[in-house]
Amino acid sequence: MSDDHPGIVAAVTSAVESLGGNIDACSQTVLGGYFTLIMIVSLPEPIAPDQLAERVRRTESAGSAYQVMARRALASSGFSPQEPVDRFVITAFGKDQPGIVRRFSQYLAGRDINIVDLYGDRNRDEFVLIGQLEVPARWDIRMLQADLEQMGEELGFTVKLQHENVFVATNELRLTRAPHPPSRAGMRL
Amino acid sequence: MLRTDEILSTIEMLHAEHLDVRAVTLALNLDDCAAPSVDHLCRKLRSKIVSRASRLVEVCDRVGAKYGIPVINKRLAISPVCTLLAGHGHAAALHVAKTLDSAAAECRVDFVGGFSALVHKGITPADAVVMNSLPEVLSQTNQVCSSINVASRHAGINMDAIHQMGHVILRIAQATADRKGFGCAKLVVFANIPEDNPFMAGAYMGAGEPEAAVNIGVSGPGVIGSALKRRLGLEKNLTLGDLAEEIKITSFRVTRVGELIGREVAKELGVAFGIVDLSLAPTPTVGDSIGEILKTLGIAKIGAPGSTAAVAMLNDAVKKGGMFASSSVGGLSGAFIPVSEDAALAEAVSEGHLVLEKLEAMTSVCSVGLDMVAIPGDTPAETIAALIADEMAIGVINNKTTAVRVIPVPGANPGDRVDFGGLFGSTPVLDVRNPGASEAFVHFGGRIPAPLQSLGN
Repeated sequence: MSDDHPGIVAAVTSAVESLGGNIDACSQTVLGGYFTLIMIVSLPEPIAPDQLAERVRRTESAGSAYQVMARRALASSGFSPQEPVDRFVITAFGKDQPGIVRRFSQYLAGRDINIVDLYGDRNRDEFVLIGQLEVPARWDIRMLQADLEQMGEELGFTVKLQHENVFVATNELRLTRAPHPPSRAGMRL
Repeated sequence: MLRTDEILSTIEMLHAEHLDVRAVTLALNLDDCAAPSVDHLCRKLRSKIVSRASRLVEVCDRVGAKYGIPVINKRLAISPVCTLLAGHGHAAALHVAKTLDSAAAECRVDFVGGFSALVHKGITPADAVVMNSLPEVLSQTNQVCSSINVASRHAGINMDAIHQMGHVILRIAQATADRKGFGCAKLVVFANIPEDNPFMAGAYMGAGEPEAAVNIGVSGPGVIGSALKRRLGLEKNLTLGDLAEEIKITSFRVTRVGELIGREVAKELGVAFGIVDLSLAPTPTVGDSIGEILKTLGIAKIGAPGSTAAVAMLNDAVKKGGMFASSSVGGLSGAFIPVSEDAALAEAVSEGHLVLEKLEAMTSVCSVGLDMVAIPGDTPAETIAALIADEMAIGVINNKTTAVRVIPVPGANPGDRVDFGGLFGSTPVLDVRNPGASEAFVHFGGRIPAPLQSLGN
């Protein structure tokens, strides 16, 4: 993590290269002027995580300080739902107040709904929350919608839960996705 | 992963601009309900409609909720009853119509279309039964809609049928005089009727269609109007080309939503997905109006010079966006200009900006014809027939669908306001100039021959 400026990716990747490493995957986000980068790298020689972090930290350019954490990559690709799921999008708009993300995420967690992507932004008094979700097929969507809309009403928020295909259909040239069975969860169909 | 700005822009379309699916129409072929006994025929009719369509409303509501997009109208379109009524008479026609009405009510659909006859080249005895029963059928049922095809590109214009329809329309108006001639709002006279149109009152299921299919009518003009206003609010110095592009993009998005919902409804009902009809169908709700779009495009008074060009551009851009969005486009697929159902058009009539002749000119470049036009109740049958003939000529010569849905309001004079209620809206009665002056032309009868297919200037 760092304050955002040109050259961070070049600096970090040159540290990886100096160890003879290869980048398997990477993802970058900038939020509120803060740059974050997560990378999965393969190295030819074993190295302690702390040493690797230190090598990257040493590439910082003048005037900025990198916060670096290294850990061994997971053997699996992470959480994978064990039951059929379908992709939905939750959107919530309303007057900002503490606890919005917690209220909605607690509700979703209580129903085994996985958040695969989350976006929140406050613009003056207005807060917008968008979550891309994996919803177990066992739930009746209209009941989830009723609960979330009721929760929104209590908070003064307009809340919608909609299947992701409506967003695919209205924005992308590709055809809409079929529901995700558990064995292929996470794959792009 | 979806992009946040894409999600936000769709949310704006859905919730701020009220994107919806205007009509899901289940088309059913009922030819196998034919029987020599009318009672038996009607029992089969009711049984088939209820067994195939009873889940339509529930499925539309469920699928609509899943995507957060309401399906406004759920309807049935049937194969033309003239086939079922072959060998039957007037009483049977009424019995069939009432059976259709009660089956539609049982399935909780808004309308059932297809009390129809195809007479562009000639009138069979069964066609005559259908046409002559319309005054009683349309006055004694609530949900039954009728369409009569009197002209086609290949057959020409059947002036005998048109003359008869002039009289039938006046009789329907008289039979529903207590409702200001409202029965006529449930009848459309066509040239080149499409076989897969989901919109009422002209929906029916054509002979080339499968046993059952789901056809979709996309959202109304409100979404396109809002998109244009937003673009104009964001940018200066836009050209008509830029605005056409905005219409095209919005039409693409609207059509994709219609197809998404339609395919899922069809799958759940276990029937074929038919087509997406790209038509922009206005409602009397303020803002959901083709007239409003024309105003946004800079026509201050609808009916002023430029109105035809503006509606032509709108119609074409909608089709281009929609055609790219879906490979299953059909039906009428054009911007409708139904006067009473479009608040801005009705207002233009009431202020004297829009007259019958300009409406007719506009229909040569859009859908679908003189639609929901109230005229004086004492307009002669031959003049109504001649109005129909003019509109049919536009369709036949230009190889497009055109139609007439006029309502001669009993006792009303030009300028009187009539209110048909709900989605049918209200309108001033339009002046029909030169009434009676087309009588000799119509009395010649016969058929105006099919036009040339070449030398198309």
